[in-house]
Amino acid sequence: MRRQIQLNTHISAKFNQELEGLKHSVLTMGGVIEQQLVNTLVALQEKAPSLAERVALNDSKVDVMETQVEQECMRIIAKRNPTAGDLRLIMTVSKTATDLERIGDEIARVARLVTLNKIPDSELVFSGMLDIGNRNVAMMRATFDAFARQDDKAAILAHQQDRDIDRVYKKILEQTAAEIQANPGDINQWMDVLWAIRAFERMGDRCKNICEYVIYLTYGRDMNSALMKKTVKKLLK
Amino acid sequence: MLKLFEREILSVDEISQAQTGINVRDLCVHLNSKLVLNNINIRIPKNKITALIGQSGCGKTTLLNSFNRMNELNKNHQCSGEVWIQNRNIYNRKERISRLRRQIGMVFQRPNPFPMSIYENVCFGLRIQGENNRRKLDDSVERALKNAALWDEVKDRLFDSAMLLSGGQQQRLMIARALALEPEILLLDEPTSALDPLTTLYIEELINELKKQCTLVIVTHNMQQAARVSDYAAFMHRGELIEFSDSDSLFTMPAKQQTEDYITGRYG
Repeated sequence: MRRQIQLNTHISAKFNQELEGLKHSVLTMGGVIEQQLVNTLVALQEKAPSLAERVALNDSKVDVMETQVEQECMRIIAKRNPTAGDLRLIMTVSKTATDLERIGDEIARVARLVTLNKIPDSELVFSGMLDIGNRNVAMMRATFDAFARQDDKAAILAHQQDRDIDRVYKKILEQTAAEIQANPGDINQWMDVLWAIRAFERMGDRCKNICEYVIYLTYGRDMNSALMKKTVKKLLK
Repeated sequence: MLKLFEREILSVDEISQAQTGINVRDLCVHLNSKLVLNNINIRIPKNKITALIGQSGCGKTTLLNSFNRMNELNKNHQCSGEVWIQNRNIYNRKERISRLRRQIGMVFQRPNPFPMSIYENVCFGLRIQGENNRRKLDDSVERALKNAALWDEVKDRLFDSAMLLSGGQQQRLMIARALALEPEILLLDEPTSALDPLTTLYIEELINELKKQCTLVIVTHNMQQAARVSDYAAFMHRGELIEFSDSDSLFTMPAKQQTEDYITGRYG
């Protein structure tokens, strides 16, 4: 059964504030991550190592934010003994923060490719990387939007965007393999490119996880369970 | 560095003299020749809620009672040490107990309304002080009942007997009776143990509002309540203060193993 969690209806006003603050903190963290990804893509496109360097350095900020969110979740659990929707929200926030931190790491990995000046010469692979990156930005925005509104349908639609990302990923892999076969001498440089492409694909998977948490938050069930599959179909009609 | 959550709670070591509501120094209390409080040193912060937790018989209520010298009602009472409230040691011989108890309100476990009207219950303390001006009494009663979140429920029947109110309403009436004297400190001895969970939450919310006006000390057996409602918490065991810190730390990472064992239900 679908449940929209009302954050502002507890008798304790302080508890309301704490939950609002927690939700807000994840969105703030999401905003920072999104900006990091956009900056990375700009750095990649313009081949600007200084901007990429800044992105790589900013990653530690994201790590600190994750720790802060985790600590706040723990504090609220210890002090408030949350149950039902409140507990699901806190667990969701905690898991989302972990996934966001990992997305941050993947972004930093791509940024380092630019700082080390290992951007591929191949136009096909390069444009493929920009394409998958832009798709990631779109998916990320849709995911955070679904999270902010606890919108199940939006979460499912965002979840489906990962299919496109996977498709593009496979295509770029094939192109990269062809490039490697053509120039086997540059294998070390190509390894870094492969890792960066893989990082883009992983970002999509992490966003997919966050969409699944939104579904768990509203329905209390795993999105991939048999019972949820019917609901998902119904929502997409 | 970006700070996602603002914390306004100071750690206990950072509380300055001006921020201290009650300063207890080397307090020992014997009741019936038994040592009930052993060398207690604690600085209770002003305008905050401090919870005292611990097993039955560990001295929580005795410590609470020593803040308004209620222990002296027991004839076999002996005490040493100092309790400073507003730059006065309340155990000084010159201290006037009536003045002290006017400053320090107290609410007990079970509501104990006097068999008189709601209005008279609230202004009882003021009348004892000699206040008979009807307009002043009316104002005080209204203010106290509003602060205790009871006004809307009883404003049309102020002259009905207080005994007709429900348990939760009676307990809020007790809080209103204490607030009518505009105390600087409010002591609460298990104020919600006789109430249902929702009424308890309403009273906790009320307590949270009251900290703007006064310093609150609450004794409770309900650990979850202590965690929910308090800013600072003190764990006592066999008459000794084991740990005193802000509740966030005490309930997530207590400094002493004994505290951890107690709050996680491993002993006691």
